Amino acid sequence: MIAATPMAQQANHALPTGFQLDEYRIERQLSLGGFSIVYLATDAQGKEVAIKEYLPNSLALRGEGEICPTITPEHLPAFRYGMKCFFEEGRALARLSHPNVIRVLNFFRANETVYMVMEYEHGRTLQEFVQKNRPAITENFMRNVFTRLLNGLREVHSHKLLHLDLKPSNIYMRNDHTPLLIDFGAARQTLAADTPMLKPMYTPGFASPEHYQQRELLGPWSDIYSVGASMYACLAGSAPQAADTRLDKDQLIPAMVRWEHEYSDQLLETIDWCLSLNHLYRPQSVFALQKALTEPVLPRPAKREAGWIGQIVGKLKKKTASK
Amino acid sequence: MKFTIFQESRRGRRANNEDRLGYCYSRDALLMVVADGMGGHYYGEIAAQIAVQTLTGAFQREALPQLQDPFLFLQKAISNAHSAIRDYSSEQRLNDSPRTTVVACIVQDNVAYWAHAGDSRLYLMRDGRMLARTRDHSRVQLLIDQGAISEAQATSHPERNRIWSCLGGEQAPEIEFSRKTPLENGDVLVLCSDGVWGPMPGELMAMSLKDANLMQAVPMLLSQAEVRAGTHADNLSMIAVRWEDSYFDQTTSAVSTKTMPIDAITTHLDQFGRNPAYKSELTDDEIERAIAEINHAIQKFSK
Repeated sequence: MIAATPMAQQANHALPTGFQLDEYRIERQLSLGGFSIVYLATDAQGKEVAIKEYLPNSLALRGEGEICPTITPEHLPAFRYGMKCFFEEGRALARLSHPNVIRVLNFFRANETVYMVMEYEHGRTLQEFVQKNRPAITENFMRNVFTRLLNGLREVHSHKLLHLDLKPSNIYMRNDHTPLLIDFGAARQTLAADTPMLKPMYTPGFASPEHYQQRELLGPWSDIYSVGASMYACLAGSAPQAADTRLDKDQLIPAMVRWEHEYSDQLLETIDWCLSLNHLYRPQSVFALQKALTEPVLPRPAKREAGWIGQIVGKLKKKTASK
Repeated sequence: MKFTIFQESRRGRRANNEDRLGYCYSRDALLMVVADGMGGHYYGEIAAQIAVQTLTGAFQREALPQLQDPFLFLQKAISNAHSAIRDYSSEQRLNDSPRTTVVACIVQDNVAYWAHAGDSRLYLMRDGRMLARTRDHSRVQLLIDQGAISEAQATSHPERNRIWSCLGGEQAPEIEFSRKTPLENGDVLVLCSDGVWGPMPGELMAMSLKDANLMQAVPMLLSQAEVRAGTHADNLSMIAVRWEDSYFDQTTSAVSTKTMPIDAITTHLDQFGRNPAYKSELTDDEIERAIAEINHAIQKFSK
């Protein structure tokens, strides 16, 4: 019997290349997160798949050359509890079949933990894409990507699910520039929201104010805040100010101000609309947001008011009037 | 685990059906049980019912998803069933305690373990032949073993229904255990009451069940047995399982509704996740159920 080893804060070792995991052969590690490792693998037919392994760093430790992680008895309850979250993700994804939502193919148990097999697509995350292709982030790119992405999000919401962790690193870009929603690790069934089973999980900058306080207010509008923040991040190249600090002191420069003339007023206005701190002022449904994104761009008024403050006031007035 | 299973029970020409039967399975273990309540005693069907419920109940509690020791499980569960019948008859102040036979079989890790008391039988069939069967705890079986009578004579012997071990009697049952018997792909296990094996030779059953669809073959065999028994047909009960390999596939197992609802282990998948118990720890069983539920949803929504 080995004495309980303290869980060192070191990264878990991935399964080795060539390892036969159930019916799949591990090719390489794709990513390593705090809760999971994602592998590229091939199935029995030689088809590429992505396999996500539940392996929370702080609770289960896999040393070099080991296959089964070490889980000390004291960590077992927490390990099993976290597994519930992993199941939530699988449960959420299993019910979705949409070209803009990652498809789950299989779920199985091995090596004292659980694995989720997903389709593998060639591409990169929107975050990586934006960092490497700043000039490609045009008005059309933004509208095309986000309108399609919203098709996927609409599907999610129509199943009474919320994604709750939308951000550019959870949006995958296929090589043909069609977006794919991935990582439903935070997804929850909204119907069960009155009996919170799981701890909140969010990413600062992309999480709505409701994520931080009043979680009972979470709704489609919360994912819409995250869409707005993602659009903002695409233009800015970095995450916007986190909602909790915005509630204290809002220092977020409105998109309308920051990128005026670079993009259409309508697009920038839509981003600012999504980023309203008060959830009631945001688009209330994905459909409403999609409508705003697909409307033809209005020709710019010939005359503009002097000074940006005047413009903002004008926009706000216009928006309030249209409600 | 992958298997096909079918069970059916018929009244025959009797007024009541005093046979009870059932099966249940977790991901890694299968239990089948047949009990034949004794007609000479009051409440025979209650004794049989208690026996089946006691075994399936214990299985649902302990097969999570495997049993630690299948023989120990069978021994304890059958003894408990005997005590439960005794308790019932003293609570009800019955003059004569109800009695029942029992035959029960566990399959786990491709190995079969069975036990019986009385004259309900288990057959193991491979390639259309009888590979093994239980020895009845009956007087005629003793006479056969002593060479006093032949198998053929036994079928019409006046004392063929007298058994010396059962559940619910004054004396504790003598439980006879099998060896650990590894199963091969295609093996068929049959558990049945004497209403089936009496008129129906084992060799014939083995041939009929070879490569047959159990959902058709079992009812056909019961009909044949019923016809052969004629006007004296006893209650007929039969569970047949064909072992396929070590993968569990829900879609291949047919569930009969004729017995008690014992399928809780496998089919109540939707319960998982609705329990708002915030800090509760997942059991192995819940993990299996969650995975089964997710895979079910994947299949359902991928069409």
